[in-house]
Amino acid sequence: MNEITAPTGKVIVCDGNEAAAWGACLSRPDMVAVYPITPQSSLVEYLAQFIADGRMDADLMDVEGEHTVLSVLHGAVLAGARTYSATSAQGLAFMFEPYFRTPGLRLPMVVSLVTRDAVSPTCVWGGQQDAMTVKEVGWIHMYCETQQEILDTIPIAYKVAEHPDVMLPVNVNHDGNYLSYGVARVELPEQSVVDAFLGEKQVNWHACLDPERPMAVDPLTGGAGGVGPSMFVKYRKGLCSGMQTALQVIEDAHADWGKRTGRYWSPLIEEYRMEDAEVALVTIGSMTGAAKDAVDEARADGKKVGLVKIKTFRPFPAARIAQALSKVKAIGVVDRSVNFGWNCGPAFQEVLAALYAHQTARIPMMSFIGGLAGADITVEHFAQVVRRTFRLAGGEAAAGPVWLNEND
Amino acid sequence: MGAAFDSISFKASLCDGCGDCMTACSTAKQGASRISIVPGAKAGTFETAICRQCGDPKCVQVCPSGALDKDGGNGVVGWDASKCVDCLLCTAGCAYGGIAVDETVARVAKCDQCDGDPACVKVCPTGALEYRKAGTIFNQYGDKEDLFVPGLSGCQGCNSELIMRHAMRKIGRNSVLATPPGCIPGMGSVGYNGKTGTKVPVFHPLLTNTASMLAGIRRYYDRIGRKDIVVMALAGDGGTSDCGFHAVSGAAERGEKVLYVCVDNEGYMNTGMQRSGTTPYGSWTSTTPVGEHMKGKTQDAKNLPLIMTAHKCRYVATASTGYMEDLYEKLDRAVEASFEGFSYLHIYSPCPTGWRVPSSKVIEACRMSVDSNFNPLWEYTNSTGLRFTHSPDNAYPVAEYVKMIGKYRHLSQDQLAHIQAKVDEQVALLKLMAAESPPPLAAHRAPTGSSTPVGAEPTQSARREIARN
Ligand code: SF4
Ligand code: SF4
Repeated sequence: MNEITAPTGKVIVCDGNEAAAWGACLSRPDMVAVYPITPQSSLVEYLAQFIADGRMDADLMDVEGEHTVLSVLHGAVLAGARTYSATSAQGLAFMFEPYFRTPGLRLPMVVSLVTRDAVSPTCVWGGQQDAMTVKEVGWIHMYCETQQEILDTIPIAYKVAEHPDVMLPVNVNHDGNYLSYGVARVELPEQSVVDAFLGEKQVNWHACLDPERPMAVDPLTGGAGGVGPSMFVKYRKGLCSGMQTALQVIEDAHADWGKRTGRYWSPLIEEYRMEDAEVALVTIGSMTGAAKDAVDEARADGKKVGLVKIKTFRPFPAARIAQALSKVKAIGVVDRSVNFGWNCGPAFQEVLAALYAHQTARIPMMSFIGGLAGADITVEHFAQVVRRTFRLAGGEAAAGPVWLNEND
Repeated sequence: MGAAFDSISFKASLCDGCGDCMTACSTAKQGASRISIVPGAKAGTFETAICRQCGDPKCVQVCPSGALDKDGGNGVVGWDASKCVDCLLCTAGCAYGGIAVDETVARVAKCDQCDGDPACVKVCPTGALEYRKAGTIFNQYGDKEDLFVPGLSGCQGCNSELIMRHAMRKIGRNSVLATPPGCIPGMGSVGYNGKTGTKVPVFHPLLTNTASMLAGIRRYYDRIGRKDIVVMALAGDGGTSDCGFHAVSGAAERGEKVLYVCVDNEGYMNTGMQRSGTTPYGSWTSTTPVGEHMKGKTQDAKNLPLIMTAHKCRYVATASTGYMEDLYEKLDRAVEASFEGFSYLHIYSPCPTGWRVPSSKVIEACRMSVDSNFNPLWEYTNSTGLRFTHSPDNAYPVAEYVKMIGKYRHLSQDQLAHIQAKVDEQVALLKLMAAESPPPLAAHRAPTGSSTPVGAEPTQSARREIARN
């Protein structure tokens, strides 16, 4: 545990878990509930230390497991609190039962997922299998590329979660091991900047527990004997529209943050050297740095390649992705997890669907899967992706998925 | 709402017409007996004529001299000899023949309930006469608001509904209630399609996370200074002893300031009467059926309240609707303790549907379960240890209890012996714990309606209780 000396408004050198802890600290949650799990553990240790040192004025709940972590936060949010937590892999799995109902209740909260591969085979290293497995539940999912982006995205996530037209939980995801333990230069914004950015905490009065205004939260809906399924449908449609509204809210929040801090992050997707690209890579998370280097090297060789990074995976910015990829001749999508039953990576399948929905032309695509169980996806791996994608553009048949670390 | 008073009840089926009560009365009053035993309609049966101390007494209405008056304190219709003009109109006015005449002096002889210690009741050899004090609960709580709507969709005779209505009536509106999946939300506590059955803020937690969720609420309320809100669960035994146990145990270990009431109907009744961790040995349930190879549950029940004492909770108690005053006192102490730490109340709740008990026998089953030590009544605090609130001595054999419950109908003598042995073992353990507990303080037993927690100094929270009511 580092000694905490960094005041806000300064530059520190820290790992991604500490950056997340600072992002949470600056967002002033009322309650933090924690249970440790590799590679998230140091994140909750930082939070505990912040609270112990009086740097952070939050109620720390050290509980008996992730199921309770999210459950106590449900109670707190229903009583009007702003909350924060973080988890990984098996912890997320154990959290799943309350996780499932968080968006349905429209509980605004932020939880960091320090992404990790899921057992079995047993593995405690990075990967995105955990987050990708829960992408359909109704949480907003944002993936960060750097330590600084992790810190900045957490206040942004609160702004999105608590927006009255969104009122949804947000997972801010960063890659286990690479970002959780990798150290980088990070600027801490002034507390006053974050305070001004977030403004008043927005409580969801749609679902609250307060004797001053008695309310039954979560009555049984739909099914036989009641008013029929219409009420359930109404709730589901509301959640859907909250998700779609979030696309714009996420863009606005990032723009606002940029104005106040000078750091503009791509809110939904980032386009890198896409202006005249003939082929494109699609990446997600920390792998993007190496991918950009590979793009630069290929460009130096005169190959017109670009890259699209997905920052927001839920709601899926399908139209923006389809537009960004509309002019290329072939696409290579690199995933850090597996979509079992589709024989590809999850992002691959999402991009495929986005293109089908928003394009008439059929662009050849290939799925690459790498970085499982904490393996490196190196610049050389990406160079291989670039070569294979150009062959695809040249008419060679797609064959996938390609397992990047198969022979490492 | 009016008031109810202590009264003498008569159970005709037990009366053998010996007349001892009349003798005792006339001796005590040195005159005519105020109670009379008369032959019933069928040969060999008996009825009684005695003053019922009516709420709106006809005798008082007909009395021309104001000699009769109902006492607002004890409810006794009193007779003032100095005002009486001996017209005897009251004896005719009473529809029950409840006012006797002392022939020797030709004056009214009026039952005054012997200042709360009736001579007739004391001598009745068959128990046909009983002095009933149950009205105190009605008087104390009858005017309080029922915080559940009429028409909850519980099964006929459901004891859990009784617990819910009484507990919330006692606890009041300044509370947040969690009712996890089970019979209680099934009755409509949280409601269906936007309509709710509860008048306080209520939530339907997961079956597994009730204690955790409540802890989150309480922590935040404490943080913003709203410390007087009762944050409580009315949970079933499955969500408490089985899949929700980690949450209960964790919250207790951390001393979360929560009132957790477990309504134990010994199974997953709402979903079709499956076994739970608190289902007793030998019980028929739909997952521990009776057949050629299996005769009900083969394991003993988890003693959840006893397990909670090992968590050093601020307060743990068992209770039963068979002993309502005890339940009310424990609710007081449990609420008070929940402002200081984890407070756990375990209430036995026979399920007429799943246990195969007639609705009319539910309260009798509650009583018998206590009186046979099947469910002994006790309480525990982390400072004073354990004490019985109902003597475990001279208990009925447990066979008396199980014979009234259909889910035990198939029990063999061996199974019955096993149950009796377990009951004895459990009582012996509780007695040991009680013996090792510090002696009770002078003010150990708080008077009914008091909010002083057992063994604790009266605190500002006592004032809080008054404010809440
Ligand atoms: S209560 Fe007393 S006065 Fe009344 S009938 Fe019994 S013995 Fe007589
Ligand atoms: S007998 Fe006495 S008590 Fe009875 S009605 Fe006459 S005056 Fe009243």
